[in-house]
Amino acid sequence: MATSTTSRWRALLALLRPDASRWGVLGVLLAIGSALALGGPLVVRRIVDQASAGTTSADIMRLAIVYLVIAVTAQAITVAVSWFATITAWRTTNQIRLRLARHVLGLDHEFHRQHTPGELIQRVDGDVTSVSDFLGRVVPRAVGATLMIVGMIIVLTAVDWRLAAGTAVYTLISIAAVVRGRHRAVGESSDEMGSYARLYGGIEERLTAAEDLRANGAGQHAMWRFVEESADAMASSVRRESAFLRMWWAVQGAVAGGSVVALVSSAVLVQRGVITVGTAFLMFQYVLLLSRPLEDVVDQLETVQKANGAMVRVIDLLAVQPTIVDRPSIEGAPTPRDGALSIDFQGVSFDYGDNETVLRNIDLSIAAGRSVGVVGRTGSGKTTLSRLLLRLVEATEGTLQLGGVPIVDIPLRHLRDRVALIPQEVELFSGTVRDNVAMFDPAPTDDQVVAALRQAGLQTLVDGGIHRPLGAGGAGLSAGEAQLLALARVWLRDPDLVVLDEATARVDPQTEQKIEQAVAQLMAGRTTVIIAHRLSTLRHVDEIVVLDRGRIVEHGDRSLLAADGDSRFHRLLELALDIDVAVPRTDGPRIAGPRIDVTR
Amino acid sequence: MNVWQLAWRVSQHDKRTFWFGWGTFLVFFTFPVAIGWLLGRGFGALDDGDVGRVVRIALLVLVCEMARMATIHYGAIMWTQAWVHMQTLLRANMLIAQVASGGPQAGQPVGSSGEAVTHFRDDTEDVTMFVDGLIDVSAGLVFTVFAGMVLGSTNGAAAAVLLLPLAGVALATRTLDGRIKQYRVADRAASAAVSGMLGDVMAAATTVKVNAAIDPTMSRLQTLVDRRRHTAVRDRVLDDGVQAFSQGAADIGLGLVLVASAGGLASGSFAVGQLAVFTAYLGWLSFLPRMTGRVLARRKQAGVAFERMSRLVADRDPANTVTERALPVGLHVARHRPAVERPRRASMEHVEVRGLDARYPSGAGVHDINMLFARGSFTVVTGPVGSGKSTLLRAILGLAHDADVTGEVLWNGQVIADRGAFLIPPNAAFLPQVPQLISDSVADNITLGVVADDALAVSLQLAEVAVDIAEMPEGVNTLIGPRGLRLSGGQRQRVATARALVHAPELVVLDDLSSALDVETELRLWANLAAAGMTVLAVSHRAVAFDRADQVLTMASGTLV
Repeated sequence: MATSTTSRWRALLALLRPDASRWGVLGVLLAIGSALALGGPLVVRRIVDQASAGTTSADIMRLAIVYLVIAVTAQAITVAVSWFATITAWRTTNQIRLRLARHVLGLDHEFHRQHTPGELIQRVDGDVTSVSDFLGRVVPRAVGATLMIVGMIIVLTAVDWRLAAGTAVYTLISIAAVVRGRHRAVGESSDEMGSYARLYGGIEERLTAAEDLRANGAGQHAMWRFVEESADAMASSVRRESAFLRMWWAVQGAVAGGSVVALVSSAVLVQRGVITVGTAFLMFQYVLLLSRPLEDVVDQLETVQKANGAMVRVIDLLAVQPTIVDRPSIEGAPTPRDGALSIDFQGVSFDYGDNETVLRNIDLSIAAGRSVGVVGRTGSGKTTLSRLLLRLVEATEGTLQLGGVPIVDIPLRHLRDRVALIPQEVELFSGTVRDNVAMFDPAPTDDQVVAALRQAGLQTLVDGGIHRPLGAGGAGLSAGEAQLLALARVWLRDPDLVVLDEATARVDPQTEQKIEQAVAQLMAGRTTVIIAHRLSTLRHVDEIVVLDRGRIVEHGDRSLLAADGDSRFHRLLELALDIDVAVPRTDGPRIAGPRIDVTR
Repeated sequence: MNVWQLAWRVSQHDKRTFWFGWGTFLVFFTFPVAIGWLLGRGFGALDDGDVGRVVRIALLVLVCEMARMATIHYGAIMWTQAWVHMQTLLRANMLIAQVASGGPQAGQPVGSSGEAVTHFRDDTEDVTMFVDGLIDVSAGLVFTVFAGMVLGSTNGAAAAVLLLPLAGVALATRTLDGRIKQYRVADRAASAAVSGMLGDVMAAATTVKVNAAIDPTMSRLQTLVDRRRHTAVRDRVLDDGVQAFSQGAADIGLGLVLVASAGGLASGSFAVGQLAVFTAYLGWLSFLPRMTGRVLARRKQAGVAFERMSRLVADRDPANTVTERALPVGLHVARHRPAVERPRRASMEHVEVRGLDARYPSGAGVHDINMLFARGSFTVVTGPVGSGKSTLLRAILGLAHDADVTGEVLWNGQVIADRGAFLIPPNAAFLPQVPQLISDSVADNITLGVVADDALAVSLQLAEVAVDIAEMPEGVNTLIGPRGLRLSGGQRQRVATARALVHAPELVVLDDLSSALDVETELRLWANLAAAGMTVLAVSHRAVAFDRADQVLTMASGTLV
């Protein structure tokens, strides 16, 4: 526990180091601010003492103006501290954000499979914002308060040691009282956040499903869940409020007790002639001054707690390491020759670490420049095959060679340049058409981007102008157009091996034809692997591989297999009704249609 | 209704917590007056050297402090409840409008649910903040009147001087609070751009990686985080500045009092006890002007909030956001899940669509649709993307809310008046193209209320999902995660199909389910529905559907061909 706290602090300090001089300036500003806050009451003390000793109104006027100047300057310093602290905190934490984002992007495919984008946004941006609020708001206040308390004790020691000792003891007791109430309050507060997250999450989900709910008459059902979640939210709010009230009792009790004790003890000391009335007044003002940091503790508690948790998560995230990395001795590593890449699987098996073998002992050779269609049922291992080709996952056994070089020996940068993927779900970015095709890369010229879009059959997007914004989630693009845009991305990059993973699963037959034509053009001069649900997509490929439960059960020329009445591919074609073969009409709910059973 | 009337309606949703909460706040604010006055007397006694009197006064101060704490404890807990009650009323009215199947309560559906949630979270907050600010102003007024009386009788001239910084606080708060809101909106937009970009990139992590696009993506992100830094700094510094200003007003006020009463202090007519009263009150005095300035800004925000919230409710009338309704959310209220009301089953013989037109503002839509289908028939609608198939189904079911819909649908020859309200189970059920599930059990997602167990089992069989569910550890009680993401795409589609079948509706309307199902499953599904004697209207591209259909209707550019 102690070590983790120390390492957390060390990690925090390491993050602050690049902006060390700015943090130093901030410290100086804070010291000036504290000195001014302590100086004001000293002036009032002079005034009170001079007034009781009898003096001219001009003297008092002069002191009063000094006090006024101090008060105004102190305010200016407060605002300056806030400005400087916030700007430095954000500068520092933006570096952390970028570092984290890059780090997370470099992590394995498997990591991204296990973490939703929402969660990653929270960890890369949300958590760091918590740290930023901590650095920008809590740290300056805590440092300022500490400087003020230390200064106050020094000032009081010069006046009277008893007052200094009393103030020190009083401050320690008050802080201890507030901190004691802290744990429960923090727990209740995160409970409350949890129940509100459920409330809003539930509302968001019901709004997303609003049409489903309306069409199925489920309004009342949805409302009831809302009522239950609101009741939970209220109960947790009340629990949080009473926990915070307890802390508030401690703070207000400390302030009230402090002013009463200060009043009585000053009265005794004044009567004995140890201190002046002005000093008694100084004590009264200092007690009021101390209440501000105490109230701040209550206000900032949640920020501290959040930042603490966030800091741990940031460090944990940075500790996650990718497993798919370049070989240590990357220099002089062999790279495949230029031009289309051959593919060579030798005894490749794969599982996701859960003892369920996804691919077993795959032996497959594809010559450079050929195009292959991979078919098979859901779960037969088609997608895993594509991930192996992109080295998003690593074979558990066996070797895979591209262009005669083992894939693990090819530097990742080089591999990414030569192998491209067109996925089933095309992800679009909020940005312009150009941003989406070039993936934010400023290097390709506009003409190159336009050419790529034309090649992919997206003249319509070119006509609208490539600097036009395109919504995320495909607003403004149909599923088919999104697929074509993914093709344009690949055209622009001009790779030597293209893998299409069920790229036409979600489009209507007409768009599918358009995609098919574009793909047929793309195939020229490259090796192409097409994974398909719909066999119609495979009209133009040279070879067919049929996968079943992780094994290759058939591999051969497309035309030969299609003509062979006994081949599995032929049966699949029949079933899919993509060629003109009649299917018997069935009536029972249990025995409809011929089953694809390749073990037969 | 104006903002004041709307806010009043909201505040009166739960009268008990509202009035008790307010009452205690008013009482709470009278204590500091007494405490400050006592402290002044205490310093007077100290000046006189009467320690006994100082001790007696100190004890009285302690008693007052205890009473003050007890009051605020009760008041704060009451007010927390009042706060949630007010927000719940607004949220309930918006949610009902969004999920009601037709009828007078139904509002216009919203486009993006992510954005719509801000109405439930931020806009309700803005309204309650306005009510809360009014309570604060009234309490601050009580304090200021009493404290003003004490100060005025102590030293009229010094008290009058205080009006200056206090007016400054009111003015500054009012001006800056409006600015704060502006800056906050800008900051939220910049933050949304950052998280939007991050979300896009993280969702597409593999795409970014395999396209070797990490570097350019990061430099774009850098631009966005830098822009957000500017907005964030502006937002937070202004916020801190306003706070510092009202705190500083107390110190500056004391300075002005000292300047104004320099003569009195020198001559002894302004005693140290009086100075103590001023010092004690100053911290509290800035409360009223600060809250007054704030409430003026908040009134504007509450007006905007009502305006925004009204987009979700019927007729876009803000009055419909404050419709009173019984909501058992209180701390000690017994809750019983009410039975779900459904329309009475109206046995269907035939359905006719006559001259149906649905036109979206963009100009797209369907035009002059006429069709007829009888009980037990299977009608397939097909056509290219964008030809209006989904719009047609929605228009028939009364779900095409953004479109201008004319024409009619006849059920056994009778025109259906409110299709949204009538065409729900058990009369009709609908499966959208991309069905949405909610984070609940499989059973809850299918039944959306209560149905007999065997009806649930039958629907699972019909939808070809029974085997999948049986393999899950908890069966139909398995929780499917946010938006059903723990299920595969195909499973989600089939669970949603079971949802459409569970009430054995007279008419089943299925928007394209082929995309998530393989041919084999789709074939079996059609056979199941036929065997169960269901009347089906479906969109499909597949020959397996055409082959079974009684009629196949092809759409092109919004019309049947």
